[in-house]
Amino acid sequence: MIRTIPGALALAGLLIQTAVIAGPPLGLPEVPVPADNPMTPEKIALGDKLFHDTRFSATGEVSCATCHDAEKGFTDSPLKTSEGINKLTGTRNAPTVANAAYNASQFWDGRSPSLEEQSLHPFVNPIEMGLADHQPIITLVNSDREYVEAFGTVFGTPPGQISMDEVTKAIGAFERTLVFGDSPFDRYYFGGDKSAMSDSAVSGFQVFLGQGRCVSCHTIEQDVAIFTDHKFHNVGVGINQVQDQVPAFVTAYLEARAKGAEVDILVLSDPRSSELGRFAVDESFNSLGSFKTPTMRNVAATAPYMHDGSIETLREVVVHYNNGGATNAADRVNDFLSSGIRPLNLSDQQIDDLVAFMEALTSPRFEEQARQAKARQQMPADQMTVGR
Amino acid sequence: MGIDRRGFLKSVSGTLLAGALPVTLVELAFAKSSENFTFAYISDSHIQHIKGNKFVRNWDRGLLRAVAETNLMTPKPDFVMFGGDLAQLGTREELDHGAEMLSALSYKIHMVMGEHDYYLDLGEYWSELFGPHYYSFDHKGVHFVVLNSILTYDDWTYNRWESGKQRMGEMAGLDNPNGSPFMVGEKQRTWLKQDLAKISKDTSVVVFSHSPLQKIYKGWNFWTEDAEDIQAILAPFNQVNVVYGHVHQIQYNQIGNIAFNSVMATAWPWPYPESYAQAESHLPVLTVPMNRADPFFERDATGWQFIDVNTGRVDLRYNLYDNSSRTVAFNDAKRRPEDTAYQNPANRIKAQDHY
Amino acid sequence: MAFRPTTLLATAALSFAALFATAARADEFTTKNVDEWQAQFDIVAKDGRALWTSPELGTNGVVCAQCHPNAANTHPETYPKFQKQMGRVAALWEMVNWCIENPLEGKALAADDPKMIAIQAYVTKERRGVALAPGKH
Repeated sequence: MIRTIPGALALAGLLIQTAVIAGPPLGLPEVPVPADNPMTPEKIALGDKLFHDTRFSATGEVSCATCHDAEKGFTDSPLKTSEGINKLTGTRNAPTVANAAYNASQFWDGRSPSLEEQSLHPFVNPIEMGLADHQPIITLVNSDREYVEAFGTVFGTPPGQISMDEVTKAIGAFERTLVFGDSPFDRYYFGGDKSAMSDSAVSGFQVFLGQGRCVSCHTIEQDVAIFTDHKFHNVGVGINQVQDQVPAFVTAYLEARAKGAEVDILVLSDPRSSELGRFAVDESFNSLGSFKTPTMRNVAATAPYMHDGSIETLREVVVHYNNGGATNAADRVNDFLSSGIRPLNLSDQQIDDLVAFMEALTSPRFEEQARQAKARQQMPADQMTVGR
Repeated sequence: MGIDRRGFLKSVSGTLLAGALPVTLVELAFAKSSENFTFAYISDSHIQHIKGNKFVRNWDRGLLRAVAETNLMTPKPDFVMFGGDLAQLGTREELDHGAEMLSALSYKIHMVMGEHDYYLDLGEYWSELFGPHYYSFDHKGVHFVVLNSILTYDDWTYNRWESGKQRMGEMAGLDNPNGSPFMVGEKQRTWLKQDLAKISKDTSVVVFSHSPLQKIYKGWNFWTEDAEDIQAILAPFNQVNVVYGHVHQIQYNQIGNIAFNSVMATAWPWPYPESYAQAESHLPVLTVPMNRADPFFERDATGWQFIDVNTGRVDLRYNLYDNSSRTVAFNDAKRRPEDTAYQNPANRIKAQDHY
Repeated sequence: MAFRPTTLLATAALSFAALFATAARADEFTTKNVDEWQAQFDIVAKDGRALWTSPELGTNGVVCAQCHPNAANTHPETYPKFQKQMGRVAALWEMVNWCIENPLEGKALAADDPKMIAIQAYVTKERRGVALAPGKH
């Protein structure tokens, strides 16, 4: 046992381990586990420690948990875009790690194929952890006595030979335990408890399936619901405002890439590159301005919304879609807008019901945070003390 | 698109990039580069008027997007073809609205007539906007012919209907049993013979037509009544390419020296004739079908294309929304068009199953 | 007494004969019935065809036949099936409503609305002969 883990963390670890043994939460499928990274309690605990270790940053102040805080829905809500070392900010809103294990790819633009691969990048991004390369991490885990012992137990690696492969596998295993279902919706739809959702949320569920046209991208099935199709769509956030400059942005991006700039750094530090979305990864017409469908689970705890954090409340998100992909009704939508996005003609009541439904997707773990987030959003502006 | 962009960018000077948008690329390994060029093809937009200044938003978005993406092409296409059915019912409002959207293209446009443009007023307003219904032009050694191939029997056109509006309504229904088969007709066949008499048999000929100049399925007018006559006129030429619209799906074929390629619609997809259980049809056996559409995405199974003319033959690159793009290129060894990824049945994907 | 049956069975047999002497049996339908009832169906299928090309179902002038000539690509033989656009297993009439509400921008019809019955009659008639394949995508 690694005795320096704080008591709370140990308890969390125990609870997480129980979930791993007992099966997925209500409403969720089995967590996909890669064949080369099986789950064990020790590996999970090691990943937990790595996830929280701020020594893997240039200033010693930033860890994964800084932007993916368990007490903030595994994001850094209410920040619009995340803050790395020295409070440097970038272009993108931190996605939640909760249920990220079900994603077919990671990051808003899917540039990473797995949890393991994803964890490599923030360490060496200048505005996140800011390391020049992974060497400081490798040095540390091969010299710190507790890490050496843990890696030896989990992977059988001799001291001096621990590599980023083992580090990322441990982090991935830990993240695979962060699965949360059993929301009021789950109890209503899969658990047969017809009183689990309010009447408004029940009506909102019908809007979600019908006139709201949400279910085609935020997919659900007969027995489970992960609320994402894993695909990339241009829904008119951010890009509408710069649509006339898209040709120039694309030229600039491709020139930068030809000169050897890396995707991960460009998209987080250069707003022009960031707005290109998935195009930055696959350079396809289809992908201009498109971003991955995030899960809708626990959205009430992860404000603000969209890839750039530009929409603050769930109601405004629904209004954006109701307008046909325009945050303000008068905005012209960009020519590359996903063809699934169109004006919805929802009434105010339907919008409120849809918001109530989205709030019913909160797992018990995040209920309190969701409640606080809502209270904060409903506070008059002059009483606000947080957020930008 | 599967082309090594980084390789291309390294091989050209910085001045090419200035003002250009290296989003889609033409292969550069040409034998004689001056004879090879690219043009874009947008077709079947079916702009549909509702009332006042309201048009069916769905079809408007299709044309808007095709125009926006065509404007992003690099290297720039030499010209753009519009393949017919700009309008849905041939009204002035529809033709004007469509012409306005096309005017955003930064290139010269040549227009092909479609039946939805024609049967209201027999192409009178079309001529005002766009010029002749059939014509030819030469470009970089290739002879291009545009036919009006959606005419039909005089009796149907002139004697059957009470008004142009009624006539247009009848022709507008693809599966309407009161319709009438398309044809090029004797007048244009005579003109075509004379037009082609001026060029050598080695000159590459590209024929643009709305109807397929083949007999595929009569029930939906995937049909040209005098297809054999037209094919006979074209047969003496060594390299003939027919590019046609109307079918709103990927089709391609080879008959003798003539390669046939359809283009996609920007508006909506049509089923393959084999999916109509009650009738026999003759979809070209070569064709690897497009992916089946998810109707939630209004642009699924729609698209536009750009066509590389490469040593006298055409290769079509279909830009499909929400799907992998497709390339149907002329296979010199087999002397017929083939899909560069999926022609081998072992490479087909589930989405290409139509039934 | 004019007539005295000698056994109970004989009484019963005579009663039966009397009862059924003039009424037709319920399950003995004839070729004429079959033709009549098929004709009834055809009337409704014809109505369905008219609706298939009618701009009255939607609000933007778009008609079913524009994307589905002869009801092709509707695949009625595959219903009920998981319908991605609805997130659950659904019946044919529900997908008809999805199309009325989405590409046609109209209002959904009740399952037992005569129009919905007619549309289903037309769609299935155009697909007659194709084997059932429930759940097939």
